[in-house]
Amino acid sequence: MSGFKNRLARLYASSRWSQLAITATTILMTFIVVSALFILIGRDPLKAMYSFFQGSGLGLKPSYTKQGGILSDFFSFLGILAPMLLASLGVVIGLKGGLFNIGVSGQMLFSGFMATILVGYADFSPAVSILLILIVGLVCGGLIGAFIGWLKYRFNIHEVVSSIMINYIVSYATGYFIKTKYVDPIIRSSRAVKPNARLAISNVKLAGQTIEIPIGIVIALLAAFLIKFFFDRMVPGFEIKMVGHNRECAEYAGVRINRVMIRSLMFSGMLAGLAGVTYYLGYYRTMTPKDLASLGFDSIAVALLGNLNALGCIFSSFLITIFQKGAVYMGSATGVVREIASVITGILLLFSSLGDFIKAKAESYSQQMTFERESREEAER
Amino acid sequence: MIDKIIMDGLAFAFPLFIMAVGGIYSEKSGITMLALEGIQGFGAFTGAVIFTLLQPILSEGAHGLVYIAILMSMIGGMLCAWLHAVLSIRFRVNQVVSGVVVNILAMSLTTFLTGLLNEHLTGEPSNKIWLGAAPRFSIPGLSKIPVLGAFFRDIYLFVPFIVLFTAVAGVVLYKTAFGLRLRACGDNPESLDAAGGNVSRTRYVALTVTGLLTGLGGLFFAFSFSANFSPMIYMGYGYLAIAAMIFGNWDIGRTLAACLFFGFARSTGYQMILKLGMSSDLSDLFLMIPYVLTLLLLTFFSRHNRPPRALGVPYDHESR
Repeated sequence: MSGFKNRLARLYASSRWSQLAITATTILMTFIVVSALFILIGRDPLKAMYSFFQGSGLGLKPSYTKQGGILSDFFSFLGILAPMLLASLGVVIGLKGGLFNIGVSGQMLFSGFMATILVGYADFSPAVSILLILIVGLVCGGLIGAFIGWLKYRFNIHEVVSSIMINYIVSYATGYFIKTKYVDPIIRSSRAVKPNARLAISNVKLAGQTIEIPIGIVIALLAAFLIKFFFDRMVPGFEIKMVGHNRECAEYAGVRINRVMIRSLMFSGMLAGLAGVTYYLGYYRTMTPKDLASLGFDSIAVALLGNLNALGCIFSSFLITIFQKGAVYMGSATGVVREIASVITGILLLFSSLGDFIKAKAESYSQQMTFERESREEAER
Repeated sequence: MIDKIIMDGLAFAFPLFIMAVGGIYSEKSGITMLALEGIQGFGAFTGAVIFTLLQPILSEGAHGLVYIAILMSMIGGMLCAWLHAVLSIRFRVNQVVSGVVVNILAMSLTTFLTGLLNEHLTGEPSNKIWLGAAPRFSIPGLSKIPVLGAFFRDIYLFVPFIVLFTAVAGVVLYKTAFGLRLRACGDNPESLDAAGGNVSRTRYVALTVTGLLTGLGGLFFAFSFSANFSPMIYMGYGYLAIAAMIFGNWDIGRTLAACLFFGFARSTGYQMILKLGMSSDLSDLFLMIPYVLTLLLLTFFSRHNRPPRALGVPYDHESR
């Protein structure tokens, strides 16, 4: 038993495998707890789990509609994966600098709204619209992010409090304008954007299925690699990491903390803005008034599960999106309330937050073991 | 109209205040508290569940039922706060992250369980638990005074509890040895440790108090604003309470002033909409007011604020 414990500790502490081992443990623990939950409410856990995958186009459903199929499900899954990944990257940039951007959903709402009214109802060619939408998303999200950073530096307002306040302000303000100016009276949300102004290629026929190819996923993957490069190889990225690790030390080393903090929140907001436009003009085409996307909060879980690593986020956003996207089908297939998807996200987040503790415990344990072994060998000599 | 402003304002300020006092207990002991939102929702949920479950049995003495619901909401809040405590004290999780974990778990779990419960009780998966009108009372004599009488008229049954609990909390925090230890825990845990105190235990106790107080605040919101429990309770009141606490510079008296200000700003906005007979669309813009005001006021007050020095830092016994 102690041999097993020893090996486990070394696995968690090893520089090469620790991340993988901790992530695997997190997922395993979540799986156990969620299975127990499903059994408790009298459902078959494996069947329920598989239905999440079926709903995400990663497993064949027993039956499909005429135009649908596994491919159309999968591309729809990619369509919601894109904003999830972008939003989580935004959270990552903030957290790397020690700043917690909890206002992702507000920034998404604002940029989505601005892109809808500025570009969505205008008559541009598809290429021009897409470019303009992306620019609007970057600028609007970046502006709010920078504003939160400025409030923090200038007035010492905690970024969590200010971004939550801005969430509600944006939600009420855009809700008012959507309801009074841009409403579609039948569906009670904003009028759908023009087909040209969407970050998706609709009505593509593939293997007899009508699919919609999301453009956002390309942007999101590109962004993930760019951010990886930004933090690994570029000075501004390194400065953000410095400030996040130790503010005093960074200041002593000559980093202008205020500027870095504002910059980090601005970049964070820009990615949230991109997430907003891919969400509201890519996955959807209308906006419901006063509705802050829960995706903005789920992205925090994604970022933490991905261990604040841009490439790790690709994996973790994939995982969490399976639950969020597959929840609808899971609900109809097993009759369990759809909100269980958020419960799963919460449990996943709970276990992933324990990762650092497991690692630290394993490190100190294996250090102690090494020390004991050495002293034993010394005594034998 | 002024009567209405005062009554509605107080009905909003009191629950906000008890939650903010909960936040003060936690943060004064050195634990960053962003989980108020989740704790109040969970407290409201447990209170509402026991209320619906016991209603058929105890249909007569309605007040007794409310007392039980109050007790349960406090216990529910306490359990939820303990999760935050265990994560941030025992497992040394980043306290901001831990707060978010608690919020997400509480929100999703209560929504999920509400659906499950309704399915079992009524057969349809509604996301609301009905509570009915909240019990109120008026103080005879005092409530007859013109204008000022509004402070004593149609008081929610929760208010005396809130006054009592927050008063006790204030005395304990500022006038007892335990309160001194708790505040030391947030400012300089090393000194508390050196003096023979137990930092972890003090923080656990502080978070227990946070949970008890905040849970009651949540039940009050569920009763007074919607007469039901639904996911609508997660409207950001917990964060507003945090803003009030920061605004009040982690001081119970000043926080009370901040909460009263929020309450009256909100009720005045509402009454103005009614008075001017504006369309309901415009009410969105008025509902924005408390949040804009918070942000604006924080720009004035945050700069001179002095948060507890050891706030957010897990205590390491060995680094002393």
